[in-house]
Amino acid sequence: MARQIVMDTTGDTRHEFDPADPAAVAEAERRFKELTGAGFTAAVRRGEGRSELIRSFDSAAEETLFFPRLKAG
Amino acid sequence: MSGALFTSLLVLVLCVPILGLAHAWGRYLARPPPWSGKAEQKALDLLKQWLSSVQLAQYERTGHFEVTDCHSGKRYCIRRGRQMNIYELDQNGVQIAVWCFGPEGCLPVGDIMLAQKIALETDEHAALAVANRCLARPQVSTGRFA
Repeated sequence: MARQIVMDTTGDTRHEFDPADPAAVAEAERRFKELTGAGFTAAVRRGEGRSELIRSFDSAAEETLFFPRLKAG
Repeated sequence: MSGALFTSLLVLVLCVPILGLAHAWGRYLARPPPWSGKAEQKALDLLKQWLSSVQLAQYERTGHFEVTDCHSGKRYCIRRGRQMNIYELDQNGVQIAVWCFGPEGCLPVGDIMLAQKIALETDEHAALAVANRCLARPQVSTGRFA
């Protein structure tokens, strides 16, 4: 199962989907576009402690993390 | 005599609601944040999953961890906190500046620190472009040499 993790006030909300299920993948891609369109940044893990920002949906990613737009503190 | 009594009563009548409001305001300020408890733990667990083994060991030992930008090679120390918790380090590990940026919204501390780590490691320029910066106080220590 692949997982999309969206940071929020509860810590995060997780959406799991089967990469072999076309409908589930389409739903995950729709969610990706919705979140990034709303200003979220998407990142995937590339090995231990390393991550990479992605601009387009990656159906092969096991875990994609979304965090809100950055602002000055 | 009656004037003094009237004044005392007036002060008393005015003080009761003021003290009540102050008490209510104190309780409001002391209320638990919406992200308390489980949310904080969940965010901390997520942060630990995304840290490297070196960063995780450092965080568990000292309460902060270091990140290195993949482009500039600059090092930063991210401390546990919501604001003013990112310290830029020089080549000797001495703090030279404090940066302040984070994700929008009321997120638990672990989420904030994870977003800061990813932003600095993957797209330092974009992160710092929105950040506030101030010079670090010389006496502040990262704990690196502690």
